[in-house]
Amino acid sequence: MTNSKSNLALQGKSLHLGYLHQGSKKEILTNLNFELYSGELTCLLGPNGVGKSTLIKAILGQIHPWKGELILQGSPISDISLEQLALRLAVVLTEPVFPGNMTVEQLVALGRTPHTGWSGRLSEKDREAVENAISRTKIGYLRKERLSEISDGQRQKAMIARAIAQNGELIILDEPTAHLDLVNRLEIMQLLREIAIQEQKAILVVTHDLEIAVETADRFWLMTCSNPLISGCPEDLIISGKINQLLPSKKYQYSPQSGRLEVQDKVSELSIQGPAHLAYWVRKALEKAGIFKLETKIQVKENPFQLEVNSKIFASLEELIQFLKSA
Amino acid sequence: MNFRQYLFPIAFLFLGLSFLFNLGMGSVWIPFGDILSGLFSGDWQKSSWEQIILNYRLPKALVAICAGIGLSLSGIQMQTFFRNPLAGPFVLGISSGAGLGVALLILAGSAFGFALSGVNSWALAIAGILGAGLVLSLVSLVAWKVKDSMTLLIVGLMFGSAVSAVISVLSFFSGAEALKLFTVWSMGSLGALGWNQVVILGSLDLVGLIPVFLSVKSYNALLLGENYARSMGVNTEKMRWIMILSTGILAGGITAFCGPIAFIGIAVPHLARMVWKTSDHAVLFPASAILGAILLLLCDAVGQLPGYSSTLPINAVTSLVGAPVVISLILKRNLSRDF
Repeated sequence: MTNSKSNLALQGKSLHLGYLHQGSKKEILTNLNFELYSGELTCLLGPNGVGKSTLIKAILGQIHPWKGELILQGSPISDISLEQLALRLAVVLTEPVFPGNMTVEQLVALGRTPHTGWSGRLSEKDREAVENAISRTKIGYLRKERLSEISDGQRQKAMIARAIAQNGELIILDEPTAHLDLVNRLEIMQLLREIAIQEQKAILVVTHDLEIAVETADRFWLMTCSNPLISGCPEDLIISGKINQLLPSKKYQYSPQSGRLEVQDKVSELSIQGPAHLAYWVRKALEKAGIFKLETKIQVKENPFQLEVNSKIFASLEELIQFLKSA
Repeated sequence: MNFRQYLFPIAFLFLGLSFLFNLGMGSVWIPFGDILSGLFSGDWQKSSWEQIILNYRLPKALVAICAGIGLSLSGIQMQTFFRNPLAGPFVLGISSGAGLGVALLILAGSAFGFALSGVNSWALAIAGILGAGLVLSLVSLVAWKVKDSMTLLIVGLMFGSAVSAVISVLSFFSGAEALKLFTVWSMGSLGALGWNQVVILGSLDLVGLIPVFLSVKSYNALLLGENYARSMGVNTEKMRWIMILSTGILAGGITAFCGPIAFIGIAVPHLARMVWKTSDHAVLFPASAILGAILLLLCDAVGQLPGYSSTLPINAVTSLVGAPVVISLILKRNLSRDF
């Protein structure tokens, strides 16, 4: 991860964005500053309605900044024509419309649209780019399948392949892992990271999937209402606690120990002895069951798993909780 | 799946057969062999056959081909642009516009004491073109204002209903003779103007189709929706104008000269997708053109009722014959999945 100026792909300079609504200006984003680097996977996180989509629209050139500048490798985006922008920037949107008769290969080949002549015929170079995109995303086995006959996760990979085939320096994905199962979510994010590094592309992913983003992203952008955009290495943001700015109430906190969101409404006073990784789950189960305090301590043993409370032995947490609740 | 590469030769063969079949059908029975030898060598067994084929049936068959091509290609453009399997060449109110022009000429003319004897096929066609042009300009005006294509579609449908209402009012106040004349026009006809009609429709097809074939890749990109298309460098504003002008010229011209021919424009693109099983417009455009021509030739031939001197109106035949066939085909498949 080198952040010298040389791999700066996209830059926002004191950007003001908004819409005209019934004659009055509605400013959504105020004084936004950011830098997006090639060779990195950047995740944009923020609550709904904070203006992530507005920012994406501005990067796509669909709305123009009221003030400030959006600079794509040296030139302001508003000066770049639609055709030129398509050569440098590819997107995967949330729109779920897909022509069922199209094959995966045809979909990926559509990514070459900005590169081909009027007829859309693929040249040797175009074919290579399509092949590269298909092998990068490992969807060769789907090549001849029709879009109506593959799963959501496979379709999303095909859409990503299409964006890779478009071969811009910048790829923007709007919630690419929504509606996908856990394995697909991890796979797609890891795939994006590989592509960012191997092809030296700047990849920006809008996501709500904090845990998987922590696993895979090189950089986080945190957007919160009325705060400046926070950019940094995810781990740094966790250690400094800045990650909690994403969470509006004190009730939910990101736990640096477990790497996940935790409910912080009550502090449990349980005393649990035994291996740490087992004690963690025992504490979780008891807290979920509403047990925050016990007179005696809980002894946890491994191999076989055993719980001991008041010299009573339990083989599972379920048994223990049943016992404690009935007592 | 190699057999699909033979689909175009097979389709052309079918087109030839339908063409011949169409020429053979009519109130006078002329054997197919005599038609072929007459057309290729110029020797006709009877001079009346030469007259019938060269001056009536041949131009009519060519008009059927031109109209079939134009309507199908208008339909597929609309369906892709609006990403709506129910769209057809007339969703923007163009046929109603042509109808309004003709209605104003015939119905309002009779109400104001204008002699119906002055109404000939040319006057009808010109009135139709003016009417279609009027609605087309109104729709363009709206297209200028609204950016959302779904809004444009709804406004087009509304224009269609409003114009139809005007026609109803005109019909209500007009005499029986004028009403009959208008009703006959609205049933459609392919043979009213002979060779002139062939030349005009042929040129309209050319003018309307060149921009379409030049935008094959943009139509393919539009399959993913306007936002994706824009992200791939497709100027969707320009595409909208190409779509409006091309379908206006094609569907408007055909309706003005042949009357409103229903159904072909909606059904043929679906048939093409089903047979060729692709969404690539480089294939779908020519495929729809050929299928449209075949379908209209066959419908016209069926309407000739051999042995009788009268013919069924083409608009009725396309719906009567075409609808059950296509509906049965479509019901077997999931339309939206194949779209």
